[in-house]
Amino acid sequence: MNEYKFSDIEIGLEESFEVKIDASKMDKFLDISNDINPLHVDSNYAKEKGFPGRVVYGLLTSSFYSTLVGVHLPGKHCILQGIDIQFSKPVYIGDALKISGKVSYINEAYKQIEIRAFITNQNNEKVSKATIKTGVLDE
Amino acid sequence: MTREEVFNGVQDIFRDIFDEDDMVIEDKTSSDDIEDWDSLNHINLVSAIEKEFEIRFALGELMALKDVGAMIDLMIEKLK
Repeated sequence: MNEYKFSDIEIGLEESFEVKIDASKMDKFLDISNDINPLHVDSNYAKEKGFPGRVVYGLLTSSFYSTLVGVHLPGKHCILQGIDIQFSKPVYIGDALKISGKVSYINEAYKQIEIRAFITNQNNEKVSKATIKTGVLDE
Repeated sequence: MTREEVFNGVQDIFRDIFDEDDMVIEDKTSSDDIEDWDSLNHINLVSAIEKEFEIRFALGELMALKDVGAMIDLMIEKLK
């Protein structure tokens, strides 16, 4: 886990990590959310609607934005204060995702940073993007 | 930039942050007058103003502000 302090952070600081989406993650998210929409739980239904398989929950992939700030940037001293997400492409079971974030703005007075983040798949296609606001609790 | 231009820009930011297209603020408007003006939205307001007007505030300056009018006056000083 990274432990960036507020004074360590500058505009342009970047971090990223990778994760593979497997069926067990879908099962666990279903258990937590109880989102039984057939697009996520029924592969036949998803195929009828023109998708190659079950569509991964958008908020499952977005949960990695939490990991991005809570573990990587800034890491330990993070307090998540806001997130604005846009989805651009579906994610499927088996996809390998890369979650990336870069500091785009620093509020010196309130020790809040803004991170422009995005997630790409194994084909380097952007599947979502987010603007994340987080405080830094180090000092 | 005139005071009216600064004021109108700040009003647009308030409307955006508080999701009220017809919100009207005055110099005497303070956090007591807007129910959703909590600590996080206060940070959002300051951040939006800093980015829109390309100015920066110090914590001490912000703590001394009592209403929107005082914020506008401080902004005008910084924009000179």
